[in-house]
Amino acid sequence: MIEEIRAKAADLLRSGEVKCFIGYERASDGLTARPFFAYSADEADRLIFDGTCVHNLARYLPDMRGKRVGILAKPCDSRSINVLIREGQVEREEVYIVGVVCDGVYRTTWGKPSRELQPRCLYCSKRTPVVYDYLVGQPPPAPESQHPASISEVEALERKPAAERWEFWRSHFARCIRCNACRQICPACYCPQCFSDQLDPLWTGIRIGLPQNWVWNVGRALHLAGRCIDCEECQRACPMGIPLAILNRKLASRVKELFGFEAGMDPRAPFPFATFEKEEEIL
Amino acid sequence: MARIGVFICHCGHNIAGVIDVGRVVEAAKRMPGVAYAGDYIYCCSDPGQAFIRQAIKENRLTRVVVGACSPRMHEKTFQEVLASAGLNPFLLEMANLREHCSWVHSEAKEEATEKAIDLIRMAVAKASRAEPLFAKPIPITKRALVVGGGIAGIQAALDIANAGFEVVLVEREPTIGGKMAKFDKTFPTLDCASCILTPRMVEVAKHPNIRLMTYAEVEEVKGYAGNFEVRIRQKARKVDHSKCTGCGTCWQKCPTKVPSEFDLGLGKRTAIYIPFPQAVPPKPVIDTVNCRYMAYLEFVRSGREGKPPPQCRICEKLCPTGAINWDEEDAIITERFGAIVVATGYDLFDPSQIPQYGYGRLDNVITSLEFERILNASGPTGGRILLKDGREPKRVAIVHCVGSRDLNYNEYCSKVCCMYSMKYAHLIKERIPDAEVYEFYIDVRSAGKGFEEFYNRVLDEGVRFVRGKVAEIFKGKDGLSVRFEDTLTGGRHVLSVDMVILACGLVPQRDAGEVARIFKLSRSPDGFFLEKHPKLDPVNTHADGVFLAGACIGPCDIPDAVARGSAAAAKAIGLLSRDEILSEPMTAIVDISKCSGCMLCEEICPFDAIEPQVVRGKRVARVKEELCKGCGSCAAACRSGAINLRGFTHQQLLAEVEAL
Repeated sequence: MIEEIRAKAADLLRSGEVKCFIGYERASDGLTARPFFAYSADEADRLIFDGTCVHNLARYLPDMRGKRVGILAKPCDSRSINVLIREGQVEREEVYIVGVVCDGVYRTTWGKPSRELQPRCLYCSKRTPVVYDYLVGQPPPAPESQHPASISEVEALERKPAAERWEFWRSHFARCIRCNACRQICPACYCPQCFSDQLDPLWTGIRIGLPQNWVWNVGRALHLAGRCIDCEECQRACPMGIPLAILNRKLASRVKELFGFEAGMDPRAPFPFATFEKEEEIL
Repeated sequence: MARIGVFICHCGHNIAGVIDVGRVVEAAKRMPGVAYAGDYIYCCSDPGQAFIRQAIKENRLTRVVVGACSPRMHEKTFQEVLASAGLNPFLLEMANLREHCSWVHSEAKEEATEKAIDLIRMAVAKASRAEPLFAKPIPITKRALVVGGGIAGIQAALDIANAGFEVVLVEREPTIGGKMAKFDKTFPTLDCASCILTPRMVEVAKHPNIRLMTYAEVEEVKGYAGNFEVRIRQKARKVDHSKCTGCGTCWQKCPTKVPSEFDLGLGKRTAIYIPFPQAVPPKPVIDTVNCRYMAYLEFVRSGREGKPPPQCRICEKLCPTGAINWDEEDAIITERFGAIVVATGYDLFDPSQIPQYGYGRLDNVITSLEFERILNASGPTGGRILLKDGREPKRVAIVHCVGSRDLNYNEYCSKVCCMYSMKYAHLIKERIPDAEVYEFYIDVRSAGKGFEEFYNRVLDEGVRFVRGKVAEIFKGKDGLSVRFEDTLTGGRHVLSVDMVILACGLVPQRDAGEVARIFKLSRSPDGFFLEKHPKLDPVNTHADGVFLAGACIGPCDIPDAVARGSAAAAKAIGLLSRDEILSEPMTAIVDISKCSGCMLCEEICPFDAIEPQVVRGKRVARVKEELCKGCGSCAAACRSGAINLRGFTHQQLLAEVEAL
């Protein structure tokens, strides 16, 4: 599998079809993976792919606009690419997508090996990328969610009384240090100036306090409604361990329930936000 | 720092009777940025306006807050006061102390006063962030489009053309004339419909300022008041009207006979045809579905096996001017107009929806429009009232309110049925003097000039009026039987008759929804097009520059349709006689440094007012200001806050919220 990826990337770079190929290489701890940008066929040998390749590489595509790039895409990354194509941040013709069949990625952290799957992979039902130009690996039969628990985290939280839910989020948001790691890693956060960075109007408030943190975290989640593909990179990046994916997943399930829409599955599907139907369920 | 002036209006007792105006003024004086606060008994009156004007000058005010009624009432008034005092009119902010406060809280005076102070505080905060706005002049295209060639559209086209503007009249049928052309006589004066309509139709055809496009339909309307871009489909007639003289040889010789739409299927027409003898233009079209040669061509094209149908082409052989053009295809014409009059008319209610009346199942149960054709001298019976078997009817029942005033079908009254039903009774009595005519009515509605007099005349002629709805029409021993209740005497009866005329109501055109979509019109619950205001703006619509005429607004009789046509024309002339119109200054504006070019705004905009543009290699949104209505959908959808709405900026609204 790795050899096939390296050969394909080297081909693309050698033929000049792409200027850069975005993939993964082994990090300096010899254990985890890190994003890697290969600019020549020789560098393609450094590419790897295994369960440590957690990053959503679609994050880097909007910055590459204007040149042809190749990208290694897991199923979740491929959905992000679709979102970016849909929102005009990536031109489909400018990207050569090497899709890779994925059995899930691990919770490996710096220097600590793990064979435990990332939480997102437990919910994931896609083993094959939804969009690609070239596919590495055999598409597996009937992919299914591997989530072991009978109820999801969202459902578990929803069963609690309102006061407890409030306390749950209050305690988490109170710890937020507003480092913006969740935003910086999110492939769908590409605004030239984030609302939370604006001073006039001052949407979020400057102080790092509970009300301001609350506005930021809820605002961030709402801006991702119908756009988040549940790659959970925000939660992985959060140094304070705030379970942001619960918010994202809840909103995504609401959007699916109300509008039958799943982000990143079809780059031509109309946005639920921008469609108007005379007979719509009133919320 | 802004110098804000606050003016509280007593509105007589309307506001001051509930709210303690003095306390509000005192509170306003202490609000940030307020340089002056005062009150007046009627701010909108001339002395009230002078009072505000003087206070602006004396206190060098730069922003004005008026606490009075809804801005829908007097925003314009106070904007003009600001303008006359040398301030930009958009530096006014209104706090609605009447509808939003005193009227709804008359029981709680103390709390109402507190709320009034809050409303003023919010308005002051918003005003402090107000910016001057300017309307831009846009030149207009001095041509009008009239859609629909019925009497209303004809009237509108003639009025606009007589005022000196170029008019294009689009009609989808092969002739103009609309429903009125099918009528025999008109109530209550009994003028012959053709005699009064056809001169108007000819006038349209001859008018130097009118271009008539029959057999054509509007497909798309883009643009805005003053500058619409309209795509019109000219359906293929297969007859070159520039060569055709209308001699009539072709339609006299055409061997194909099919039911005539104009005669509602009661008579026949040929495949190359004019709908009726006085059609305008008096030149035929070929019905490509029924024409034999078209069927032959279709057979050849499909490449099917077997013997092809005969090639007829008689019209082509006989045409003295060689006007038949088999190669003619639909043509798409795109033109610009400043104003549009929509006069697309109505449809007759389809009585087969009421199974117990047996329409379509029982012979001699006919609709009102079918009876008009039977009465008409150019109709299928040459104007003789005959049953299907050719006998004259001796007993005729006329059933009122078919599909109208009935919660199962349409709640509204169709307005014209009572009168045309009485017209029928009179005409039946005139042509078959010994006939018995029964009118089954709920109420007789004869409000109109000469209408009640006509009712009395018909009563004197011995027409029987039965108050009650008909329950059922069925086949009796001898002809038809009508089961009904007489609500005046309280009995249930059965009456034998020879003919039943169903006085069907008026309903919106079948494709009114599609027309509404094309012209961006709203529809009222009954399905007719919605006027801007039912009383004060009856022919304007919420789509600026698009006016309504005739029965597409709702059921009306001929004089009303003509009046509506003239009214719509007057509105269109008013628009076209200006050289330019002012754009709405409260529009969305894009801060391109914040725009990511995701174009969600473009998708969400209901007015197609946003398009992408490339600035320094970057794709960003651009607002077409002349199309923007300032609805703010885009501003709400934009995640990075790159879109702001002038007059309701994020800064102004957040300031309001924070002041509360």
